[in-house]
Amino acid sequence: MVEKKYTKEHEWVEVDGDTATVGITNHAQESLGDIVFIDLPTVGKEVKSNEELCVIESVKAASDIYAPIDGEVIEINNSLNNDASIVNQDPEKDGWIFKMKISDLSQYNNLMTLDEYLASLEN
Amino acid sequence: MSDKTLNKIFLHEFHLENGAKFVPFAGYEMPINYKKGIINEHLHVREKVGIFDVSHMGQILITANDKNISSLETYIPLNIKKIPSNKCHYSFILNKKGGIIDDIMISKININNKENIYIVYNASRKKILNEIFNNICDNYSVLNNRCLIAIQGPSSHSVLSSYLDLSKIINFLDINILQFENTDLYISRSGYTGEDGFEISIPNENAENFINQIFKNENACLCGLGCRDSLRVEAGLSLYGNEINEDITPVQANLSWALDKKRLEDDNLNGSSILLQQLQHTKDSIKIGITPINKTMLRNNMTLHNSEKKEIGYITSGCFSPILKKSIGMGYINDVTNRMDKLYVKVRGDFEEVIIDNIPFVKKNYKKGG
Repeated sequence: MVEKKYTKEHEWVEVDGDTATVGITNHAQESLGDIVFIDLPTVGKEVKSNEELCVIESVKAASDIYAPIDGEVIEINNSLNNDASIVNQDPEKDGWIFKMKISDLSQYNNLMTLDEYLASLEN
Repeated sequence: MSDKTLNKIFLHEFHLENGAKFVPFAGYEMPINYKKGIINEHLHVREKVGIFDVSHMGQILITANDKNISSLETYIPLNIKKIPSNKCHYSFILNKKGGIIDDIMISKININNKENIYIVYNASRKKILNEIFNNICDNYSVLNNRCLIAIQGPSSHSVLSSYLDLSKIINFLDINILQFENTDLYISRSGYTGEDGFEISIPNENAENFINQIFKNENACLCGLGCRDSLRVEAGLSLYGNEINEDITPVQANLSWALDKKRLEDDNLNGSSILLQQLQHTKDSIKIGITPINKTMLRNNMTLHNSEKKEIGYITSGCFSPILKKSIGMGYINDVTNRMDKLYVKVRGDFEEVIIDNIPFVKKNYKKGG
């Protein structure tokens, strides 16, 4: 397992081998407010980084979730279909959203570290 | 819009200290929710009592003389001369086409032995309404020095009656003047959540102390505009800028119940002949309540389509209903025969089937006949 990384779209990415697990940050869930529904991506979908992959609906608004890295969706967190508020309660662990098979680790290395992400929030 | 151009309501600091998150709304920086979040605040109002600061709304007192009444009756579809004192009416400011410049609460109240017309109007329409009032009324005062606090929920009467004698405000839409700390409160039994509740106009300097007293009650919680919106959609109530605007008449918006029908025969009323004609003939626009069949969220401005995917309407308000635990919405379709067809909403390019549902989605809980 390598260090957790972050995107400017407020997603976190954790890589284990060629599998990346993706969710939204605590800051993101706080600003979204109560999450009521997540339109999860389709397993098997191949995407490029920064492509819209799924949508989080909160009481306030719909927000797109982007693929942080090129790859293929290999698993989705089905428990979010029954209770999307898990993302509010535990965004960076049980509230993970999807897993991808990735090939280009350099894209991952280019994402922000926690310190860089936190600094970006202050600007 | 940058924060510098936004107005702050009088108790801004109080809300900040109590954990409010702010959003721009109608030119004001307004609390959207507090720490509990929109869904919990919503449920709290349906179960107990919520405190809303809606001081962004416009309030005006107009001396009830013959000239002012006659001028106002050009815009307002009520017989203002004959409406009884101490009773609120939901009504409109109409343009010459019968379109809605604003929806208002209007009443007659007696202040210092003088009869006044008291009107509460939308923040987003303050500028245009203040211009109209200035042009047509003499002897009026725009109440920028007063807050407007809404206390909403089934326990609102029991919570409020610890501080005020509510014996003159027994039924829905009653309004009266009560004393608090030697100052006049204008209190109506009203609100926009579908629950029993009160709207309280209070001088700025007394407002924080008043809210704090109610806030001490364990059944009360501060609530923001986020849940005010989902509560009013559940109750099927229209919002200016969503369901109603200058191009939509009260008849088209299913609000003809609020029109004094006799006034529609009066040429002095803006748009009277258009409204009368619309009432007598088939409506060209039909307001409906909708819910999606599958899990999807309805949002304002999404388009509605028939089974041939032809666009036949749009959503005016969409939200998540914390009571029904699904998305609900209101909108317009442009042909009554479409009610027989399947109906779809376009969500990010896909067509999702929706069904027509009854408005209100949640039964209203007003206090009547007590």
